[in-house]
Amino acid sequence: MGNRTIKRYVLQVAAFLLICLGVLSVYVVYLQSVAADGLAKNPLNQRSAQAEADIQRGSILDSEGRALAQSTQPGNRSYPMGESMAFVTGYFSEEIGSSGIEGYANRDLLGITEEVMRMGPVAQLFQSSRGNDVCLTIDSDAQQAAFDGLAGRRGAVVVLDVDTGAVLALVSSPSYDPNYLAGEWEAMLDREDSPLLNRALQGLYPPGSTIKPMIADIALEQGITDDHEVFECTGSLDVGGGSSIQESHGEVHGDVHLEQALVKSCNVTFGTLAMRMGAKPLKEGFQRFGFDKQTDGELQESASHLPDFLSLDMGDIAQVGIGQSMLLVTPMRMALLAAAMANDGVVMKPYMVQQVVSPTGVIVKEHRPTKWFEATTHSRANLLNEWMEEVVQKGTGTAAKVSGVKVTGKTGTAENPGGDDHAWFIGSAVIGSHRIAFSIIVENSGGGGEEAAPIARKIVLSLDK
Amino acid sequence: MNSKSWGLFAAPLGILLLGLGVLFLKQHTNGVFSLPQVAQEFGYLPWLLAAILLAALIQAMLLHSRPQPDAWLFPCAMLLSSVGIVMIARLKPALLVPQIRWLIIGMLVFLAMLRMGNILKKVTQYQYLIGLACIFLLCLPIFLGTEIGGSRNWLLLGPFRVQPSEFGKILLVFFLSAYLSDHRQVLSLPNFRLFFLQLPPLRFIAPLLLIWGIAILMFVVQKDLGAALLFFGIAVLMTYMATGNKSYVFIALLFFGVAAAVSYALFGHVRVRFDIWLNPWQDPGGMAYQVVQSMFSFGSGGVWGTGFAHGHPELIPEVHTDFIFAAVAEELGLIGSLLLMLIYALFFYEGIRIALGCREEGQIFLVAGCDIVFFLQAFIIIAGVTKFLPLTGITLPFVSYGGSSIVSCFILLGVMVSLSRKERNAHG
Repeated sequence: MGNRTIKRYVLQVAAFLLICLGVLSVYVVYLQSVAADGLAKNPLNQRSAQAEADIQRGSILDSEGRALAQSTQPGNRSYPMGESMAFVTGYFSEEIGSSGIEGYANRDLLGITEEVMRMGPVAQLFQSSRGNDVCLTIDSDAQQAAFDGLAGRRGAVVVLDVDTGAVLALVSSPSYDPNYLAGEWEAMLDREDSPLLNRALQGLYPPGSTIKPMIADIALEQGITDDHEVFECTGSLDVGGGSSIQESHGEVHGDVHLEQALVKSCNVTFGTLAMRMGAKPLKEGFQRFGFDKQTDGELQESASHLPDFLSLDMGDIAQVGIGQSMLLVTPMRMALLAAAMANDGVVMKPYMVQQVVSPTGVIVKEHRPTKWFEATTHSRANLLNEWMEEVVQKGTGTAAKVSGVKVTGKTGTAENPGGDDHAWFIGSAVIGSHRIAFSIIVENSGGGGEEAAPIARKIVLSLDK
Repeated sequence: MNSKSWGLFAAPLGILLLGLGVLFLKQHTNGVFSLPQVAQEFGYLPWLLAAILLAALIQAMLLHSRPQPDAWLFPCAMLLSSVGIVMIARLKPALLVPQIRWLIIGMLVFLAMLRMGNILKKVTQYQYLIGLACIFLLCLPIFLGTEIGGSRNWLLLGPFRVQPSEFGKILLVFFLSAYLSDHRQVLSLPNFRLFFLQLPPLRFIAPLLLIWGIAILMFVVQKDLGAALLFFGIAVLMTYMATGNKSYVFIALLFFGVAAAVSYALFGHVRVRFDIWLNPWQDPGGMAYQVVQSMFSFGSGGVWGTGFAHGHPELIPEVHTDFIFAAVAEELGLIGSLLLMLIYALFFYEGIRIALGCREEGQIFLVAGCDIVFFLQAFIIIAGVTKFLPLTGITLPFVSYGGSSIVSCFILLGVMVSLSRKERNAHG
């Protein structure tokens, strides 16, 4: 009967349609597995941004738990310390994006982790509506003291804990107020003094005389001099080719030992030493002190600019010996040089995020201090650190002296093509059980002893609580 | 059979309980409950309880009436409806009570359909009347229609908005099954050849061609491409079921191809739809916004989904009607979307089983036709929101929000279930 053939046709149609559905389901599988990642991460896909907007960002706290950035209302971020902390917290805004810790620790602040994100719906069990708090190593008092010390002048300050590498202060000036940055963005971009540039990590400057402790270390390591040799400073050093190195302010130091040369910042002595040791030991010395490295993670540093030592003529080598020539370094690098001298030659890896704490108080992440490299030996570091203490006691850095606190230092007055000399001061201090190292630069302001060293004193006082 | 069929009710009940529970807890993450607010939130509860009781009553009737009708399709429909309720509660809470109300109305219509089994049989005698009624219904919006969401396929009847095409498709199935069973012999005995095509005399296929053509023409004019595709698919597949003649399929595809090419050339909205399908990334923020957002839903959902009520499907405009499948895919992931497709496949399979159990040709066509309507609708909209095929707006049966859609679904379901009983009666 005809029914049977009809039923065969019905089955054919059914089979055809089910095959179509099978093909469609294969396509859906492709869409939600293979193609899913690309679609989820498509810049036009606002879903992850929406998911983030649903979460109240955690706070950024300083080492004593004081808020540096916090969420007041949904989508609204406030920065209680404003300008002085701008390069630590960075900014966060839908219009202009994010930077600093706000950018680096974005996922921590949202409480999102890569592992949890892969867990799909189960992740919702772990996802809190409030993100984690990020606790920094920053000491707000030191930070404020450093920022006030710069007093609006262009410059930067880095303060480190030499035992751990913890960053206690990271200041760059001029700065911006992250509370209002979104509205001032265009104006900030146009300003000539670059208020958005983090000078502490990305500013590149000639180190000037602050490089001299390292030159002394290389000279001692090479055995080309000792602490008894007497250098005769006539106020000028002929470096060949008709050029010469002068002492600043036309000074004449007369007969000096290496220690006195450092304390008085004698250009003639260090120019002589550089020429005597030659290019190769200089290059190795810079590498030993980590000038070919950069801090990373939450401390994105620019690479220092070292000359091609082996092709330098004698005049340039002598210039390198007093921190000039084509040498350009970051304030962070110079803080690490001071830290090496203060910490028996050992440099700890700098970091700023101490821990990440969940809203319920669970420590999600904790930083463990790690040794980064050994710049010099125990004995040479101690010797040079003692000499640097003399710089503060009776040399060029007396403005940094704090009674009852051991402060060491080295001033620098760096010539630069941009105008007046940059004032430098790097050094260390022992405050109670803490040992800190610092580097301070005030652009185009004059002598390091007069302009930069007083800031070191303010920082030490702020930490001496 | 009995206990299993009741067990099937655990799935929709579980979905309702878990889904609405999750939504309630999500509202109160801070743990603060105030009585008036909670009472207001649970305003839907009486309606929901009424719907659940009605569903249980219907299932009890199905299980206890002798001869026993099919007791699987209705729980399947309830399962899909519960997914719909939960998703609408999550996407458009304001439409939750209306949707439950439509479900209740749908189930009452379903009950009425079960009582009218004999009338169904008689009604097929007036095939041309049905055909004319179908055409009339489809033409109605051209003269009296209102354009909503870019398609002029709505009628405003007092407070109600009715989509005549939702009911036109039922009449079409009735007409085709009656016409095809009457003329099957002539239609499948070809007596003239055109190249490799074997065709019956033109006067026999004229009504078929008429209905194909009118369906397509009208929907192109009304801009309701989804329904046009659905009507066309129903007509072609049912013709093939009756004749087994592939020439019809060929002609139909040719017809479709020409119609598509012509409407692409003539009508801006057809062209736009097609171009969006070819390259949605040309205008992702404008014309292709809906499709692109829908694709993002599938991508962001991934395999496991974002978790119910934790995704952002509300970024898709009209997500609670045509795009509800994308919302399921985003929040319940690949697992959810495949399960939903599986439910439709099972529903379809069960429908075909009922069709094959019928003895009369007309009934086979009727049941299989209704089944194909469900299947095609699900297929067309799922393929559309995934950009597998060009997007054509149509509802996902039982799941999407919409009164016309829900009621017409229950009418089709009623036809299938009541015919499942008739046949076993004949067997004794």
